[in-house]
Amino acid sequence: MKFVHSTSSTGHHPIEVTRVADLQWHAVEDDRTVGRGNASRRPDGRLFISIDAWHGEVFDHIADAMLTDLPTPLYTVVDEADHESRSAWKRAGFTMARREWGYDVPTDPLVTGLGPVRPPAGVTIVPFGQAEEDPLRALDRRVRDEVEATVGWRTMPAEVLPRPAGITVLDPSKYAAARRSDRYVGLIRIAPLPRQPRIGLIAVRADDHRLGIARALLAHSLDALHRSGTASAWAEVDESNAAAVALFEGVGARRTAGTLELARS
Amino acid sequence: MEVEGTVVECLRNATFKVELENGHTVLAHISGKIRKNYIKILPYDRVLVELSPYDLTRGRIRYRYRS
Repeated sequence: MKFVHSTSSTGHHPIEVTRVADLQWHAVEDDRTVGRGNASRRPDGRLFISIDAWHGEVFDHIADAMLTDLPTPLYTVVDEADHESRSAWKRAGFTMARREWGYDVPTDPLVTGLGPVRPPAGVTIVPFGQAEEDPLRALDRRVRDEVEATVGWRTMPAEVLPRPAGITVLDPSKYAAARRSDRYVGLIRIAPLPRQPRIGLIAVRADDHRLGIARALLAHSLDALHRSGTASAWAEVDESNAAAVALFEGVGARRTAGTLELARS
Repeated sequence: MEVEGTVVECLRNATFKVELENGHTVLAHISGKIRKNYIKILPYDRVLVELSPYDLTRGRIRYRYRS
């Protein structure tokens, strides 16, 4: 697909924005590519867009083209500290929908204070790589249904990887689980990135909340990382998730970044 | 123009100091696609940087290599 949008000549050379593929736009000025737009659909169905431009005028032209071509609502993410990008998206009509905090999470039990933490009576931790797939998928489905019935999954930190429809547990080896008798009641997922592993999800069944299961899963996971020589992990937490914020800050996690999700209806 | 480099410092305002293979250092933002996909950039990461056609001391990190 190639569709040329109207051009502008407010600078020395006209800027031409072209939709070069279904979800890609290029801006060209004086035969040089001076900006790109991209759109992609998250597994939850929402359409996220991004724009890279070397100056604000190009950004605005690409935004105009994308907003003309794409259906709303549209979403994007920006670093809270990136004031230039925030201003540009504001000019395009985007407003803040929510905020995530990025945490550096220490793994050393002497820092986290999690050394003596054990799961509650009757609950055992199933280590990474040993979780059984069927009960793990059943728990994941149950937790997602519980979340959808209450605050909604959209308030959870983003899950952005493309995946087959209906499949939410892609790689069981990334999970540790908490088991009570014959079923799983909690899980933690960690992406083993080489430089700094990412804690992607901690979830406990609603009727097993407030028993210390999430804390026990975190203790197990951070201890495993510490033993493997990893000093810290990374996690994103929605600012409205008071329980998750308390869990991470309670183990000495340091808030180091803020990511804003912006939306345009 | 795209060149490879190594992140030497994470600065405030979502920018990074990147040392290029030719020894020059540029200030770089991360691309929207990297931001959108929650890819975290850390010191010592190897990255691909697109240099600004307007200012060769500025760039944009377009790709982070896995190792």
